[in-house]
Amino acid sequence: MVYTATHTTRYIYQQPVSHCLNEARLTPRRLPWQQVQQWRLTVEPEPLTIATRTDYFGNQVSSFSIFEPHDLLTVTATSVVSVEPLPPQPDLSPAWEEVRRQLATQETSDCLEAFEFVCDSPFVASGPDLAAYARPTFQAGRPLLDATRELMRRIHAEFKYKPKSTEIETPLQEVLEKRQGVCQDFAHVMIGSLRSLGLAARYVSGYLRSGGKYQGAEASHAWVAVFIPGAGWLHFDPTNNVAPSDGHVTLAWGRDFTDVTPLKGITLGGGGETIEVEVRVAPGAKL
Amino acid sequence: MTGKQTKTLKRSEEIGWRYAPVDGHWDEAMRPSGFPRSHWRQLSVAVGRMGVRQLAHHWETGQQLIQANGITYNVYGDPQGKERPWPMDPIPLVIGQEEWAMLERAIVQRATLLNTMLADLYGPRHLIHDRRLPPELLYANPHFLRPCSGIAPPGGVHLHAYAADLARSPDGQWWVINDRTQAPSGMGYALENRLVSARTLPNVFSQCQVRQLARFFQAGRDALLGLAPSSRSTPRIVLLTPGPHNETYFEHSFLARHYGFPLVEGADLTVRDNRVYLKTLSGLEPVDLILRRQDDSYCDPLELRGDSVLGVPGLVQAVRSGTVAIANALGSGLLETPAHLAFLPGLCRHMLGEELLMPSVATWWCGHAEARQYVIEHLDQVVVKPTFPRFGQHPEFGSTLDAKGRAELIRRIEAHPDQYLAQEQVALSTAPHWTEDGLAPRHIVVRVFAAWDGQSYTALPGGLTRVSTSSSSLVVSMQMGGGSKDTWVLGTPEDSSPSPLIRPARLPAAASRTMSDLPSRVADNLFWMGRYAERVESIARLVRVLLPALSGEADFGHAASLETAVQLMTRLRYLPKEVLRNSISEQRRQMTRLLRELAFDQSQTAGVGWNLKQLRRVAWQIKEKLSADTWRVLQQLETGFTRTAPSIADQRFVAEMLLLDQAIVTLSAFSGLLMENTTRGHGWRFLDIGRRLERGLQSTELLRCGLAAAPVEAEPYLEMLLRIADSSITYRSRYLTTPRADLALDLLLGDEANPRSVGFQVATLCDHIEKLPQRDTQDRHPLEQRVALKLLSTIRLARIETLAIPDSKGRRDELDRLLTGIKMDFLDLSEALTARYLSHVTPSRLMAST
Repeated sequence: MVYTATHTTRYIYQQPVSHCLNEARLTPRRLPWQQVQQWRLTVEPEPLTIATRTDYFGNQVSSFSIFEPHDLLTVTATSVVSVEPLPPQPDLSPAWEEVRRQLATQETSDCLEAFEFVCDSPFVASGPDLAAYARPTFQAGRPLLDATRELMRRIHAEFKYKPKSTEIETPLQEVLEKRQGVCQDFAHVMIGSLRSLGLAARYVSGYLRSGGKYQGAEASHAWVAVFIPGAGWLHFDPTNNVAPSDGHVTLAWGRDFTDVTPLKGITLGGGGETIEVEVRVAPGAKL
Repeated sequence: MTGKQTKTLKRSEEIGWRYAPVDGHWDEAMRPSGFPRSHWRQLSVAVGRMGVRQLAHHWETGQQLIQANGITYNVYGDPQGKERPWPMDPIPLVIGQEEWAMLERAIVQRATLLNTMLADLYGPRHLIHDRRLPPELLYANPHFLRPCSGIAPPGGVHLHAYAADLARSPDGQWWVINDRTQAPSGMGYALENRLVSARTLPNVFSQCQVRQLARFFQAGRDALLGLAPSSRSTPRIVLLTPGPHNETYFEHSFLARHYGFPLVEGADLTVRDNRVYLKTLSGLEPVDLILRRQDDSYCDPLELRGDSVLGVPGLVQAVRSGTVAIANALGSGLLETPAHLAFLPGLCRHMLGEELLMPSVATWWCGHAEARQYVIEHLDQVVVKPTFPRFGQHPEFGSTLDAKGRAELIRRIEAHPDQYLAQEQVALSTAPHWTEDGLAPRHIVVRVFAAWDGQSYTALPGGLTRVSTSSSSLVVSMQMGGGSKDTWVLGTPEDSSPSPLIRPARLPAAASRTMSDLPSRVADNLFWMGRYAERVESIARLVRVLLPALSGEADFGHAASLETAVQLMTRLRYLPKEVLRNSISEQRRQMTRLLRELAFDQSQTAGVGWNLKQLRRVAWQIKEKLSADTWRVLQQLETGFTRTAPSIADQRFVAEMLLLDQAIVTLSAFSGLLMENTTRGHGWRFLDIGRRLERGLQSTELLRCGLAAAPVEAEPYLEMLLRIADSSITYRSRYLTTPRADLALDLLLGDEANPRSVGFQVATLCDHIEKLPQRDTQDRHPLEQRVALKLLSTIRLARIETLAIPDSKGRRDELDRLLTGIKMDFLDLSEALTARYLSHVTPSRLMAST
């Protein structure tokens, strides 16, 4: 499928901002199943330069700063991207304890690389509550893939998808207690549960095609990738209880939201702000 | 020397040097036989000869020096106040030549090793891929700053400054118990301790041929200049501090002065187009190297910790672009965890091809199963620490826990084994410590330092020895009330040649630059310091002049009567007009309450106490710009006004009078010190601008309320007005007549020779403004200059004689209009100056992420 993804963010300030510095991770990644055909970042007011670099996790970062007073900042990222359907996930996988062991001993270089995503990260720290949540699904000897699908299904069923019910800073513990949140929280819960069992999981940010049956298409979306020895990183979307395929566009990945924040910044002045985010992912190439 | 003399000497030595170490520990000074070790002999003989009383006398001088130099240490969460005088012991720790040579090699090797490790861990990470270091120690380490991965610092130097804490076990072996790689503190204190100890024991110091410290700092400074990525002949280096609330702020300001680098906070720096600039009065000045005393994760809210208000947004990107260097490099805090200690011997062989010269204290990282087992089985012999300590976490001593505490600790370890490590508890050595009862043993830990010298690392021949609180305590922490010692490394005669001991290394270039390098934030604080100081003084003077009126006694000479005092205070709107209709005793009661509130009520924004608090607040922000004397005077002032007044009314009255007299004198001293001790740069100018502006405003208001409104004044009233304006003596010597409204007005408004007049303030302001750096403007006469000139001409053209004539109702409306206009102009001037020079003091803010 070829899509045109338009992601617009507007910051409306109550008092003028005298200057701001920003970092955006709004460029889709190049992947075996995903090609970026065209990409454009428009910022209003226009910054002097937009610098791009590749970050620690291989994501494209655009940074820019604006040194003229403004009370409205508009950032629009437009991508024309083609996504192939992913091959079906394998049926077989090692028992989850075996994977845990391989990760703990970093048996292969893949395991060593994946080990970074077993460790705690700023927003997702493993803990007894998360482990307890995952336990019933991870019975002794159960294949990891099987258990992961079940965990995804449970999160989808047991947590209520409720836009605006949480903030970016809402602690994971609170999400776990209240059993509600947005895609970001669903992903964090799943990652935290897996890490608490000694498994490797990472956070993926991206888009869903608009107008489909999935939840979370109106803004940027988030899901989870899990490391399975032999198979590599397989993707799971707990918000929609689905294995992402050509309906998901991948932007960036990292340990949790903090590593892949689509847009962040620092301002001088400004006071209160209102933010409007709009994401539209339509079939076809219309840049 | 005859036999008899030797004998006498021995006896005196025995008399003075009375010191008995404790069993089971190595003593630095004494052999088990009871004789001093050879390298302690000279010191012990000298102290012995001196005797307790003389040493005590010498030490008094030493302590005065600590006071005078304002050496302090901030203790977090101390309810008593923000800072404590630096706790120091007059008896230094002595280290012999040979032993030092060994220590020096070990420190230099270790700094080299840790720097090589940092280069690998922030580069190719071979140590992880080749499995030489457990990946948890990197990937789970909150001090591993991923945005800094791949950034190669100039010269490959991640670690510019390094410190290690050393302890000695009962068998005489030295062990490293901590590595400090983030922003090691203590060097400045070591230097200050030297200053004090060399003066406290001058003769012994020179006899002992103690190695000098100055060369080390010089080399470190030169190496920093060499690391600055700039082709400019004099790179600009700044010292970045988290601010006055940091525990070692004193040291930051001390080192900044010593090196001749501006001391800046995050808000003083800004990043434009990937380059770091210092916001100064003259505009933005490029910065080439940042000597960092702030933890790295707080340095850039954009790429590092978003909740940091201390940082410089965009700093990491600037470093990445190679336009600025940071020492130590961002991310260097990674190696502060003791968890890697167990791996150092192997890493040293692998990376340097050498054996590790000094062992680290035995460390078990619980992430490894066998190590965890050992720790749990030997809990009473070890200290358990978090692998990656967070603020407020303390080591736990297994031996001090009860069964329940132990079980709880084991449970925590087993839940997150990789987050704990345990270390052997070194039975720390002891050294003699001066107490009121003579010398007593205290446990010590020595912090030693190394710095990049351009080629390799150089060790500071000395160190900061820290002392436990009692002979039984093994906890050595300045935060927990321990003390410190100077550390004497003995050398040869050449080593101790009388090179300039410790003098700030100020190049002429640096000195001329400091003028324009003045950060706007500092100028802002100086401006407000000037304003608050003046405000405090004028209120104190007002209360002081009016207070005698309350007594109603004649023996106060020219004292104002209650009637005139109340009249003035209603005009100045301190009292409602209705008071005038009250009975005399009621008026007295209200006046008494008002004056007491003005002088002593801390919550009265118009009062002395509140403004004094504000004065202290802004002064605290620029502590390093103020001399110790200035601080002391400020301290005195505050103590005076917070002291509880005597309860007996009469005594209280006299006490208050005295206090105010004293306060006014102290305030003059404060102003004098400020004016005398501040270099005549732009900083001084802003201080004086603040003062002149405030005085101008106060005098204008006094004239407007006191003279422009009806009814026409009697002589005592004018006299009182002149006294409040501190011009009554000038008046009498000039006019040789009783007070007249027109003459008083002339003296207080137009007379530019009277330092108390509005005209004088305006003339001085004009002069200052003309000399300020011109920037951001194409105007030939920028706004602040135009306002100042307008003020000056308004006052010069004012027809005083006409203005002083009251109308039929006893009012001076023309004067009222003139003075109102002047007041407005003063306020406009303040705003114009702020907008031009001080406006980029606005703090930055994190945007909501999406």
